[in-house]
Amino acid sequence: MAERTLLNQLIDALRCLPGVGPKSAQRIAFHLLERDRDGGSRLARVMGEAMARIRRCSRCRTLSEHEQCGLCANPNRDPSLLCVVEQPSEIVAIEHATDFRGYYFVLGGHLSPLDGIGPAELGLDLLEARLREGQVTELILAISPTVEGSVTAQYIAECAGAAAVHVTRIAHGVPLGGELEHVDGGTLALAFSGRRTL
Amino acid sequence: MSGAGGLLRALVLHRRDYGNTSLLVELFAQGQGRFPAIAKGARRGRRPTSALLQPFQPLWVGVVGRGEVLTLTRVEAAARPFDLGGPALPCAFYLNELLMRLLGRHDPQAPIFAFYHAALGELAAGAHLDSVLRQFELRLLEGLGYAPSLDLVVDGGTPVAPDRHYLVEPGRGTRAAPAAAAGERVSGATLLALARGEALAPAQAREARALFRRLLQPHLGPKPLKSRELFRQWRGGRQE
Ligand SMILES: [Zn+2]
Repeated sequence: MAERTLLNQLIDALRCLPGVGPKSAQRIAFHLLERDRDGGSRLARVMGEAMARIRRCSRCRTLSEHEQCGLCANPNRDPSLLCVVEQPSEIVAIEHATDFRGYYFVLGGHLSPLDGIGPAELGLDLLEARLREGQVTELILAISPTVEGSVTAQYIAECAGAAAVHVTRIAHGVPLGGELEHVDGGTLALAFSGRRTL
Repeated sequence: MSGAGGLLRALVLHRRDYGNTSLLVELFAQGQGRFPAIAKGARRGRRPTSALLQPFQPLWVGVVGRGEVLTLTRVEAAARPFDLGGPALPCAFYLNELLMRLLGRHDPQAPIFAFYHAALGELAAGAHLDSVLRQFELRLLEGLGYAPSLDLVVDGGTPVAPDRHYLVEPGRGTRAAPAAAAGERVSGATLLALARGEALAPAQAREARALFRRLLQPHLGPKPLKSRELFRQWRGGRQE
């Protein structure tokens, strides 16, 4: 068993990073200590502050150090459009790739009854309250096309229906540049049922 | 034990991420019962098997290993996924949760696999939800040896009469209810409809739902069924 030195503790702590095993953790630790102490110190400082101060935006549940995140605080977006995503990282992807200029709502996962994740854990009461405010006319569901994603989407659609809000779901199907014969059956079936007039 | 080149018919009851690229799935396989298996690298690559390893997707799977947790070597679709929409979907999750809670691991339970498969088919076909759930609960309790006989009275074995009322308690069977018995009485007509697998009238469906909650309770323990809560919230939302 390795001695409980500060170096070993650092290597051990680095392993909480995704994709970092014992070998990479060791390499990173030596790199920071031998070649980039400034970088390491800065990482430690920002990491500490981020862990202490970043929480969920009170309006959309994305990660922010403010009570309301920058997107929610921006008055120049379209309040009639609300896009529901599972993870904060998906907001970044949509902002980069699309011209969507409405607001967002982050679930933080999907309904998974067997894991004890129900509507309350996803903040759906907050979403329902938001829909009842009456400004949203279209709710766009950008939720993974898994079984758990479907149950989540349908549950939200029921809530939105009760608030008389129009619900759409982003299209799922064949990736750009993909060849049909290499696409799995489930994706092909979704793409087929979601076909549109040219 | 297995068909098509050593492959097993199976369905995923539950899955969760395992490491950065793998999945840990709980499978229910024909002739093998319920067991956990690791799908290495299932979330990686251009055609990840995670797309197939989902609940309600009939599968052929190949597994190897000796311990409690096996390793998946092959995954293929055996049919199209059950097309479950609306409230049928939380009902299907309820079936999965019941199997996860009541079925021991590596207990073959061949009839229950067949009933599970059939119940998913009925849910997908738009059958009456209460009837499907009650029949599945009854078959599950029967398979595990916990089901009372619903059409015969326990002392003397006289047949249940449709116009009389009965008490059905876990572990004690069906008995004639005293006239003054409290609200847990069940009508003979409901018991006979359940035993024969017939459709339930609305009042009977309510009676049967309460009856099976009582019958399942001792085997489920104190932890509430999450999918039952979800289904209740779902219905609540629709009635508003
Ligand atoms: Zn926000």
